[in-house]
Amino acid sequence: MREITLSQAVNEALAEEMRRDPATFIIGEDVAEAGTPFKVLSGLVEEFGTQRVIDTPIAEPGFVGLAVGAAMTGARPIVDLMFGDFIYLVMDQLCNQAAKQHYMSGGKLTVPMVLRTNIGATRRSAAQHSQSLQALVAHIPGLKVALPSSAYEAKGLMKTAIRDNNPVVIFEDKLMYQDKAPVPEEEFLIPFGEANVKRQGTDITLIGTSSMVQVAEKAAEMLEAEGISAEVIDPRTIVPLDEATLLDSVKQTSRAIVIDEGHQSYGVTAEIASRLNEKAFYHLDAPVLRMGAMDVPVPFSPALEDLTVPTPEAVVGNARKLCAGEMIHAA
Amino acid sequence: MPLDVIMPALGMAQDTGVIVTWFKKPGDAVTEGEALFEVETDKATMEVEAQGAGYLTDVAAAAGAAVPVGDVIARISETPEGTGPAGGAPAGAAETAAPGADTLPDGSQVIMPALGMAQDTGLIVAWHKEPGEAVAASDILFEVETDKSTMEVEAGHDGYVAALLAEAGEEAPVGAKIAVISADKPEAPVRRSVADGAAPKAPVPEPAAAPAPESDAAPDAAAAPRAVPAAPADPRGRVLASPKARRLAMERGLDLARLAEAGQPQPYHAKDLEALAALPEQRAPSATPAGATRHLTADVPVDGFDRFARWAAHEIGLTDREALLAGLAAASAAQGTMTVAVEAFGATRLYQASGVRLGDVGQADEGAIADLTVRDLRFTRLASVQLGAEDVPVLSVMAAGEGLTLTLECAAGHLSAPAALTLLSNFAGRMEQPLRHLL
Repeated sequence: MREITLSQAVNEALAEEMRRDPATFIIGEDVAEAGTPFKVLSGLVEEFGTQRVIDTPIAEPGFVGLAVGAAMTGARPIVDLMFGDFIYLVMDQLCNQAAKQHYMSGGKLTVPMVLRTNIGATRRSAAQHSQSLQALVAHIPGLKVALPSSAYEAKGLMKTAIRDNNPVVIFEDKLMYQDKAPVPEEEFLIPFGEANVKRQGTDITLIGTSSMVQVAEKAAEMLEAEGISAEVIDPRTIVPLDEATLLDSVKQTSRAIVIDEGHQSYGVTAEIASRLNEKAFYHLDAPVLRMGAMDVPVPFSPALEDLTVPTPEAVVGNARKLCAGEMIHAA
Repeated sequence: MPLDVIMPALGMAQDTGVIVTWFKKPGDAVTEGEALFEVETDKATMEVEAQGAGYLTDVAAAAGAAVPVGDVIARISETPEGTGPAGGAPAGAAETAAPGADTLPDGSQVIMPALGMAQDTGLIVAWHKEPGEAVAASDILFEVETDKSTMEVEAGHDGYVAALLAEAGEEAPVGAKIAVISADKPEAPVRRSVADGAAPKAPVPEPAAAPAPESDAAPDAAAAPRAVPAAPADPRGRVLASPKARRLAMERGLDLARLAEAGQPQPYHAKDLEALAALPEQRAPSATPAGATRHLTADVPVDGFDRFARWAAHEIGLTDREALLAGLAAASAAQGTMTVAVEAFGATRLYQASGVRLGDVGQADEGAIADLTVRDLRFTRLASVQLGAEDVPVLSVMAAGEGLTLTLECAAGHLSAPAALTLLSNFAGRMEQPLRHLL
């Protein structure tokens, strides 16, 4: 199968869906002439014109609000938010308006909008351009949240997101735009709420999101050398969450580590770990561990920044302790 | 000026300490901060440092000795020979160093406790009792402040406050005697400050008087063989184990507490069950005291038997409901062919059941001995039974709304705990949905 970058995969998904449905359009900063800072949208304005690939002023609340209104009245906007950190600016548009219109209109209105944005540290972008804020929106009922872990997922999930009649926030990892993966030429969609078992194992389940799937896979390889068999699962969407696949795995392995690049406290890892505790408690042979980003603003210093995110080595260290039955965080 | 070496107080409730070993011999030179000896209490073993430089002399307690807290056990002198006759006997030294000691009333001594590992002195914030006042062991006697915290300290003895030897606002060295509690109401209660009673040099701990008689009982306890806890065992005696290990232990009828008794380090995980299963069987008398009975109850939300019996009668001609009950019960025991007595409507019928095909259940020979009794009480008003063990295990079936209540009673010798759990669980499953018999 051919291999393409995550950036190309997103580009293909957008182009295919825009050809398929004339109601779709892209709106955001630097999306047309510049093709975004990450060059994900290169070539789209040439094909679809500036009527459907719309550059905006630097005014996130304005253009996201505009997109919510357009979605309510029949269009299918794809909003480009240059950095995930800017999501703070559009909280009302996203969480108070987009998420609630269907409910508050008694089902008469839908908001078929996609908000494309990104996450990920270690790009030396400092504290205001390096956050992974998926937990903020996953907390809000009415929003779906997808976290592609490779070019394949990026394309399949994006196409599903665009066809979904609900607001979807899709977070791509900034560091993965140039990562290649096999992506079929023929059309495919990845349904929401279906986790992907990336690797089978018997001793411990490593649940990773986005780039943390790669961290988990590397950790699993290292653990194999030590005789520990790790299963790696990518939930792909955290809302909806494929609880059944996670629970089935954890009931088999009886141990789990949940890895996500958002801050650890009150995060995605906490939610998933808590569900495993509630629903697989009597199958657990060790506490379910969370591994998120350190609870600090992401440092600019490269040496410090690298210390704030989960690494394969750290996952291996924790997995080893859990499998050896060591007391973790004993009181 | 020689320094007294006293037995330090390492815990709040400590009366004595056992000298594990001396790191110095009499006459050895010591420097301040050097480990002098090792002391063991019921909680911990700790090295004690020299409080000053000099020569170790006048060692009054050998390794292995249990010494009351606050007692002088040696001196650090300016010469290897010691301080001469006056310092030769620590008890005597105490008398000379503390001229007021002989005027103190008899009673239990209260010492300045060590609230932190690195604490030298404690500041008495307030006394909560006056000299002469009655006091119970659990009463707060005083409040003490260290550099870390402020704490209320209990009297520890019932009686009367016979002496307070430090004033509020004063600091007293850890281990120093600061109060005396007497059994009888003192005629002349004492109140004085640390400065009045202690040796002239403030940092030198106040040497205690000769060991008080009431602390004589303690050395025996301290000399008892030491039990070293291997793991952070829970102070409430709860066994630490993973949920999975607990579930598996329950399913297999194993008791995780036996691992703890065997000294296996906690917490326990699923893999530890192998070690548990491998532990030698407990002696029968202790495991199952004679006459012990098992009484297990299961609730079945839906009575599936009646419908099944009608279907069996109609479709395959099995019209004997008691035979079906006997067959399901025998299959639940999973012990191969057995004789099952079914008691219903005041009559008892004996069946021979293989536990496999319900159609093969047949009448047992006249005079056969039952292995198991099924007592069908569904058409009575009984809601529960507790009849005690009979000659064979008894399964009682009672109606409970739309469902059933099932009880298994037997002597401990009839069925092991796992076998009893299996029998009743299987039987409950079959009574709820008889098709489970096919699984």
